[in-house]
Amino acid sequence: MTQDESRAETGRQTREEAAERAAIAVRPGEFNHSAGKREKVFELKGVGVDYSGAAAVKDISMDIRRNDVTALIGPSGCGKSTLLRCLNRMNDLIPGASVHGELLYHGEDLYGSGVDPIQVRKLIGMVFQKPNPFPKSIYDNVAFGPRILGRKDDLDETVEGALRGAALWDEAKDRLEDNAFGLSGGQQQRLCIARCIAVQPDTILMDEPCSALDPISTGKIEDLMIELKEQFSIVIVTHNMQQAARVSDRTAFLMVELDADEENRWGRLVEYDETEKIFTNPADRRTEDYVSGKVG
Amino acid sequence: MVEQTRVHYQAELGQLEASALGGLDLVSEQLGRTGEAVEQQDVELAQQVIVDDDRIDGRYLEVHQSLIALLATQSPVATDLRLISALLHVLKNVERMGDQCVNVCKLIPLTGNEPPADPEMLSRIVTMGKHTRTLISQAKRAFEERNVAMAQDLVRQDDVVDNLNRECFHLALEIGDDADKREWAMTMLLAARAIERIGDNAVDIGEQVAFVVTGLFREFEDASHPEG
Repeated sequence: MTQDESRAETGRQTREEAAERAAIAVRPGEFNHSAGKREKVFELKGVGVDYSGAAAVKDISMDIRRNDVTALIGPSGCGKSTLLRCLNRMNDLIPGASVHGELLYHGEDLYGSGVDPIQVRKLIGMVFQKPNPFPKSIYDNVAFGPRILGRKDDLDETVEGALRGAALWDEAKDRLEDNAFGLSGGQQQRLCIARCIAVQPDTILMDEPCSALDPISTGKIEDLMIELKEQFSIVIVTHNMQQAARVSDRTAFLMVELDADEENRWGRLVEYDETEKIFTNPADRRTEDYVSGKVG
Repeated sequence: MVEQTRVHYQAELGQLEASALGGLDLVSEQLGRTGEAVEQQDVELAQQVIVDDDRIDGRYLEVHQSLIALLATQSPVATDLRLISALLHVLKNVERMGDQCVNVCKLIPLTGNEPPADPEMLSRIVTMGKHTRTLISQAKRAFEERNVAMAQDLVRQDDVVDNLNRECFHLALEIGDDADKREWAMTMLLAARAIERIGDNAVDIGEQVAFVVTGLFREFEDASHPEG
């Protein structure tokens, strides 16, 4: 158990915060980052997740492309957040969770025996539903990761670059030493994105990043996603189908399956295609009914 | 357990489809009276057709506005989005078809009282009008039933109208040296051309049927590359 996880257990911070800190607590890398020039970032082959033996998602096979925004959509309980958390081994932090099948990241087994999950979370950052800045200044929030990584040279430049990258620089440059909690919700979420990109990941996972934000802040985050995908690959879970339609290049639709006696349920991938295809002419009737809002 | 949702939206979309396609009934009625006005040289009936075009224009504006509102408020996607896109096209076709009936009816007073009508040519124009009405009803039915084969058959039906139009042209060429008769024939060629365009609009609606069903738009016949 890592030091950060221990802190989470003592209740001094939430599990998400522990994961966020774990994600930026770097150790010597095992992944060849330069391999990111390949088209596929992730290759999932028959991936499933169980919680204490009960299936949460089953048999997910899909490729996630580099520099795309990939959206995961589906009704509540379909396992889209569970699937997202597989991509940076966040499920490792949940007792009883197990991932099976093959999940390749830049062609390497993400769950291989020699892979350090902390290193994984450095390369594959995560932004959560609720903005979760640390109780520190704006500057220290963004500098937190680079400092832990030992990147103390040019820290000012790194912070400025990350804040600019997250479209927050103009609003924050004159108040860098102010407490991050003084920012609005939308600004806090962009700060979390800045904190994420300050450690130079190659992929950003976003779990309903706008669900707690007003439409203006949501618009800014969506604009940001489109700008960020030039540098990063983004996977987003969203309940907002119009958001998926607006920002993503490809969309995966998952739905809930029930066993015969309707006691057990799990998520399964129904359709995965270009977003334009999913929202204009989906191949599967179930996708059509869901994106049209005809079934709940 | 699958639960049906957005029931009111679906009902509204269904009503708007019925209203848009109902515009084809108005056009068919107008075309029927237009044919009668041509055959009988009935200037008063022609005038009535011109006045009644307001009903078609009103239908266009009403349904068009409602479809735009539905786009703005309901964010339709997939089949619903294709349907609304197709209905906007159909409405435009309906409005153009109505205008073509008006174009024909405006020609009727120009031919004067008891014009030197050529029975052969007149008969073909009247037949064109009747056949085009069957195209209109077939286009409507194909849309209602989402029947692509029936929609594609509109091309074959439209060929009949096109051939009659060409026959009118040749008859006009051979109409003789009488100036009044030639003027009547030239005027009636314009009428035949307008009716022929209504047939083309019916085929366009058939293409929208295929788009709604398959998600792919293609012209049934490419006028700019007829041999392709």
